[in-house]
Parts: sequence; C-alpha cells; structure tokens
Amino acid sequence: MTTLATVLGIIAFAIAGPIIGCLLAGLDRIISARMQGRVGPPLLQPYYDVRKLFSKENASVNTSEHAYILFAFIFTLVAGGVFFSGGNLLLSVFLVTLSSLLFIVAAYSTRSPYSEVGAARETLQAMAYEPMLYLMCVAFFMASGWFDVAGVFFLDAPAITTAWLAFLGFLFVLTIKLRKSPFDISMSHHAHQEIVRGVTTEMSGPTLGLVEVMHWCENVLFMGWVAMFFIWSNPLSIILAIVVVLAVYFLEIWIDNNFARVKWQLMLKSAWLVALVAGGLNVAVLAYL
Amino acid sequence: MELIASLIVVPVVAALLLLVIKNDRARDVIGVAFAALIAVLSIAFAVVFAGTGPVDYSVTPNLENLLSLVSLAIDLVVAAFIVCYAVRYKRPLALGLAIVQILFALWIEFFAPRTKPLWLGTDLTTAVHVDALGVIMVLIIGIVGSGICVYALGYMKDFQAHELHENPQAKDRRPWFFALMFAFLSAMFIIVLADNMTWMYTAWEVTTLCSFLLIGFTKTEEAINNAFRQIVMNMLGGIAFQVAIILLASFRVPLMFTYFIQFASSQPYVVLLPTVLLAFAGMTKAAQIPFHTWLLGAMVAPTPTSALLHSSTMVKAGVFLLVKLSPVFAACLPASVMVILVGGFTFLFCSLLAISQSNAKRVLAYSTIANLGLITACAGVGTPEAVWAAILLIIFHAVAKSLLFLCVGTAEHHIGSRNIEDMDLLFERMPRLARFMMLGIMCMFVAPFGMLIAKWATLVSFVETGNVALIILLAFGSAATFMFWAKWLGKLSGIAGEPQNVELTVHKTEWVALLLMAGLVCVTCVLLPLMSSGLVVPYVEEVFGVSGQGIDDDNLWIAAICAVAIILMLFAGLGRSSKQKKVDVYLAGASADNMARTFRGSMSQPVAATSRNMYLDNIFGETRITPIASAICTLVMVAGIALGLAWLVIAFMNLFV
Repeated sequence: MTTLATVLGIIAFAIAGPIIGCLLAGLDRIISARMQGRVGPPLLQPYYDVRKLFSKENASVNTSEHAYILFAFIFTLVAGGVFFSGGNLLLSVFLVTLSSLLFIVAAYSTRSPYSEVGAARETLQAMAYEPMLYLMCVAFFMASGWFDVAGVFFLDAPAITTAWLAFLGFLFVLTIKLRKSPFDISMSHHAHQEIVRGVTTEMSGPTLGLVEVMHWCENVLFMGWVAMFFIWSNPLSIILAIVVVLAVYFLEIWIDNNFARVKWQLMLKSAWLVALVAGGLNVAVLAYL
Repeated sequence: MELIASLIVVPVVAALLLLVIKNDRARDVIGVAFAALIAVLSIAFAVVFAGTGPVDYSVTPNLENLLSLVSLAIDLVVAAFIVCYAVRYKRPLALGLAIVQILFALWIEFFAPRTKPLWLGTDLTTAVHVDALGVIMVLIIGIVGSGICVYALGYMKDFQAHELHENPQAKDRRPWFFALMFAFLSAMFIIVLADNMTWMYTAWEVTTLCSFLLIGFTKTEEAINNAFRQIVMNMLGGIAFQVAIILLASFRVPLMFTYFIQFASSQPYVVLLPTVLLAFAGMTKAAQIPFHTWLLGAMVAPTPTSALLHSSTMVKAGVFLLVKLSPVFAACLPASVMVILVGGFTFLFCSLLAISQSNAKRVLAYSTIANLGLITACAGVGTPEAVWAAILLIIFHAVAKSLLFLCVGTAEHHIGSRNIEDMDLLFERMPRLARFMMLGIMCMFVAPFGMLIAKWATLVSFVETGNVALIILLAFGSAATFMFWAKWLGKLSGIAGEPQNVELTVHKTEWVALLLMAGLVCVTCVLLPLMSSGLVVPYVEEVFGVSGQGIDDDNLWIAAICAVAIILMLFAGLGRSSKQKKVDVYLAGASADNMARTFRGSMSQPVAATSRNMYLDNIFGETRITPIASAICTLVMVAGIALGLAWLVIAFMNLFV
C-alpha cells in the first residue's frame, strides 16, 4: 500500500515539482531584481533558459558525468515522491543526501580542477548542514510523534509549537541547501568568480539543464520540509503553511541579496554551532520535559 | 552436533595441512578446497539452524572434563607462546600479564567452585548454544572469513615476490601465515557457539594470540612493536574476562553464558562488576578508544590480515560479546551508560579523525573503529530496536569492509601506493576494481545501502529511548562520515584520457574473492528485508519477545529498489560509449593534455594544474583530537569499573550487618 502510494507520489512529484520549482525560480529572479533596483526577467525566464539548454549540442568531458546527474535527478524525484506521499521523513532526507553525493561525484569525475574544488566545497557544505537536518527530523518526530509525514494531519497542534527552535536552526542550514549567499561557496549563480562555476564548471547543454530542473525539484522538497512544521488536523492549516513557505522563501532571497559570501571555515563552525545549540537543545527539551 | 564439531575441526585440519605444505600450487588447491568446504559447512549450518530457535547441546561429564582439560592446555600453550615472545623481545609488561593469565587459568580450572544450574536438574551442562545470532556470525565467519583466505593465496604470492626482491635470502614464511588464518576461523566459531564461559575464554585468547602473530608477521621493528601493543591491550581484556569468571564462580553462578545472561538480566546489580568487566573485555577487543591504537597498528600486517581482523573476526568477537550482553545492559543502568558513552564517543571522534587521513588503510581503520563504536552503543542501549540495528551493522560492516580492504590491497600491489591521492584516475587504470571499491564505499555510508539503513534504525532506537547524547553524537558523526567517504569516492571517479590499464595482472584467486565480496554486498543490500525477517528478527524475538525492526518493510523495499538502481548505474550505466561529443576540461587557458591536466599558460609554456582533497588536519588532526577522545573514554571506563567495584564492596559489607 505504502509502496503504491510512493510510486504515485513520485509520478505526481515528477510533474508538479519542476513546474512549481520553475515558478519559484522565476519569482526569485524577479524579486532579486527588484531588490537591486532592476525590473528583472519575465516569470517564465528559468523555463526559457532550461529549454534552450536542452536544445544545445550534447557535449561532455566524459561519458559518465551525464549518468551520475541523471541518477541524482531520479533520486531527487524519489525523495520528493516519498515525502509528498506522506512517507518517511528520514528516508526522504537520506535520498536527498544520496542525490547530492551523486552530484558531487559527477563533478569529481570530470577531473577539472575547478570542478574538483567545487566538489570539495560541496562536500564540506553537506558536512556542515547534515547534523542540523538529522536533528530537525528527530525534533519533528518528538514533537509530532511521527516519522511518517502523513502523521501531521492527525495532530492537534502543529509541530512548530514545540519544535520551533529546531525549525529556526533548520532555516539557517536551509540557506546552504538552497545555495544562497552567504553560503554559495561550492557554486555561485555567477560564473565569473574564484572557482568559475564550481561543481557545474564542466556541465553543459542537456546535462546542465537537468541540473537546473533537479534544483527546482529540490527547492520544492525543501519548502515541503518547511511546510510540514505548520500543518495539523485543521485543513485550513495548509493555507497557513503555504503562506509561511512563501515568507521563508522571501526571507532566503533577502538574505541572498544582503550578505557577502563567507569562507568555509565560518560556514562549518556556524552551522555546527547552530545544530548543537538549536537542534541539541530542542531535542533535549523534548526528551526530558 | 557433528556439523558444529566439523565447523571447528575442519579449519584446524586446514591450518595443520597448510603448515607443512611448501608448494605454491598445492597450497592454492588445498586452500581453495578448504575455504570452500568451510563456506559450505557454514551454509549447511545456517540451513539446519536458521528456523529452529535456540538449540542447546550438552555433553557427558566425562567428555566435559576432557574438553575442559584440553581448553586449559590450549590456555597454557597460548600463554607460553606469549611468555617466549615477551622474553625474546624483552617486554616485561607482556610477560607479567601472561603470567597473571596462567595463574588465573589454573585457579579457574582447579579451585573455582563449579555450580550446576538448578533448572537443568541433571549433572549435564550445556556446552553449545546455537541461536539466530550464532547462525549469522557463523555465516559471516564461514563465508567472508574463508573468502579472505582465498584472496590471501594470490596476494601473498605478490607479497613474497616483493620480499624476495628486497632481500633475496628472505625466508618463505607463508605456511605459517595461512595456518594462522585458518586457525583464527576455528577459534571464532568456538567463540560464537560455545556456551561454557571458560571455553569461550580460551578461544578468545587464541584469537588474541593469532592476531598478535599475524600483526608481527613481517618481524620489522614497527610490526613487533604494534604486535606487542595489541597483545598487551587485549590481554588486559582477557584478564578482565578471567576475573569476571572467577567472580561469577565465587558467587556460585554456573559458568554458562546463557544462564549468566538470564541471571544478570533479573538481578543485574548482584553481578554488576562481572558484567562491567565482560563489557570491558568486549570493548578492548572491539578496539574502542582508548584501545583503538592496537587496531591502527595492525595495519602493518599484510592486507588480508587487516581484512580478516576488521571484517569477520577479532573485532567482531568483541561486539558479538557486547550484543550478547545487551539484555543485561537494558536492565543495568551503570553498565549501560558506560558502554553507551564509550561507543558513542568512539563513533564521533573516529569519524572526525578519518577526515584528516590520506592513507587508505588508515581511513578504513578509523571507519571500522567508528562503526564498532556505533555497534557498542547500540548494544549498550539494549532495546530490541537497538539490537536489531546492531546486528545489521555487524553484517553490513563485515561484507563492505572486507570488500574495501581487499580492493585497497590489490590496488596497492598494482599502483604501488595505498595513499588515496594516488588513486587518482583509478576508474580507468583499474576499471573493475575501482567500481568494486566505489560499491564498497557507497555501501558504508549512503542510502539506500545496508550500513545507512542500519544507522537509520540506530537513530530510531536512540530517539525512542530519548537518548539525547547519542542522538547528537550520531548526527555529527554521520556528517563527518559523509565527508571522508565522499572525497575518497570522488578521487576514484576521475576520468581523463586513456591511461594504461594495470589490472590485467591481478591474480585469479583475488578476483574470485573480490567478486564474492561484491556479490555479497549487492545481495545483502537488495535482500535486506528478507534477511531481517529470516535471521535478525528471530534472534531479537528469542531474546526480547518482540521483533525490534524499527523500520517498516515498505521502506526497506523502497530502499532495496533504489539499491538495485545504484548497482545498475555503477556496473552498467557508467563509462558506456555514447554519441556525445568529447571536449577538453576548462583550465583557464588552452588545454594541452587532459590526463596530465596541463594547459598553455600566458607565456605559451605548459603549466600543470594540480588539486588535492581537503584533509583539514588543523581541525580534525590526530594530535588535536586523540588526546581529548582518549581522556573522555578512559574516564568513562574507569568510572564504570570503579562503580562495579564499589557495589561489590557495599554488598560484601552488608553481609556483616
């Protein structure tokens, strides 16, 4: 039964994820532009960009890179399917980790120095945000009583009421996961910086297009993780959750536009400190009080 | 019973035969035949006992007395060996410990009171206890262990050739090596099947001696030093084991493991000190901090030895004992806290330490210790879910780690280095081997493979018991695990140009063993749900009465399907020729040579671009972390034993009130 639901969830996410993610990305670009005093591109500009990438010549530095990216993309879809079909939160987190690992290995496989530096930094980023992600899941479980996301619909009060500290910690590492400044150290949106384009330096054409679509889907999934903290048995809470998600996304855009990139040392230290304090404290309070 | 006896005797016969055979071909044939026989016997054993529930075998008093004398004789021979080596290399500490062991062994045999358990009603005692955990351990030892022996046949040929190259007069000591490897398997079978604690102890010491001799095999100064470090640390554990036996005997507790566990689970505080001492013995063997240095030192031995010590024998004896004791820990808070803290901190600190290492074998060693720490912590938690996770960790660690050690050993012989940085381009230099290595690495740390599923169950069990310290240690340790494996995996995956393929000269026996291990990794990961319901759940149900599977079957099957996808990607999806246009990598200049990563600089001169993985030595270096880790874990162990002692003294004083 769960397996069937998961399969349906994957199919649904494979269709809805890219569409919603694309719209979010378009919104992101418009809002960023307005913050910088520009008009910005049309809402569907990310879609036009990706369509163009897919129409480009299929050229690559080796034959394996595309396979890694394809599997990274597939596992993002599976993670999203598991999550949005109400499946196990930890499983979806683990599958996202698998997907980011394959993304890292794709960059390493090109053996380009810029990609390798980007991949090394991406690995550091993963190490920086992982403890907080685990603790966020644990806090969510302790607050709601469920590892299965579907459980939120049976709650009398949303998880945020008792897991708000862990949620704030999660927001901190969410900036890393969304690849926003100040933590966009493995690959920034601007290709003229110290490590060229980092992880994606050697990716082009359809491969790069797939990477873009994968990021859209990832972003939608992460917003789902945000939303689950605000949903309880009241159906209206879904609207509240959507409002919160939009507010969080706006906050991330604002942070992106207002903070300069930091060095990895600061990222690692701050993310681990936040995990220890926000995550650890919240879990301890939930366990002992 | 015949099956059990043959499991123990066949490896001994193999050891004796290989000791006298000097011919390469004959050794190959006999080695492979016996390894196959042992594997078949262990599978037959599993088929017979998998569904039966716990089975006890008794022996007649005469036979029991005879076997006890044999076991005493083995104890004395082991100790005599150590005494000889200690005198020859002037190691007073090892000598002193060996003499203490002899005295204790004699006392146990001739003076310790023998108590028969009331519930048997006869003068028979159980000699052998087979349960589902025993079946799992027999499968691991019989299949993984003998697979490593097969691998060693080819590996040691290269090893010997190298020795002769260095020193033409070098003696061929391979018969000794193979005899030790097979003897090791026999001792392991006894540990996991014997119910009589003194016999278990004898086998325990035999494994200590075997690994001492295997670590010191090359007889270089470093090897001898590391071998003595190993034996001193493990003899401390052995003496703790003996003291536990002596205490139990003087409490009039029958010296049978199953009986002890039942007794201790109901009255944990009466036997607190013996429990703590047995846990200490298990933790020394499982190389927990501060005793982890013996396992790091064991690297000097030829690689098959490391593979054997790390995956299916030696350290697994330690965690086997701890998992067996877990119902006692569940009932006994002080012992539980000690084991949990040592295991949890070992997991965290060794995962951090592994980041700073570029020597592949050292990374593997730290990862082994870290995972043993996690198993130890699970055993300490002692709930059904934790024990389920611990057993899965044992299984997956055995198959994945043996695969990785064998891969590193073969790579070392063909690229001349065990440094991860030198494994650049391995994906093309040794295409098959690199894929096996990547499979092994992925199995160690990432979903949907076995180790991560087990870690997932671990997390669930920690959360359900509200063990905040362990949750935090696990969260940070897992993040570090991701870092050190991912950068190694990345190094392997690099592709550029067409370097020479150097894996054509790998011995056939090595390929057989590598294929076996890679096959085992795939099968165990994909069939995890069946393995859980067929082997692991029965044990947990025997002991706790509930299944303990913390993750439901649906999720396990989803993970299994994902595992199939990754395996297909690794072995069928990567590196296939396609119609894609090939381009050079971007080097901020005109590329000159992709493989050498050179480009034409601004003066039209070729410039080489280099890059190296991050090892973050100034954050996670050994000099920084090891002292802190050792201090914390030593403190916990000392406190645990002191508490046990205090309890004993109080109980003793109460007798006079």
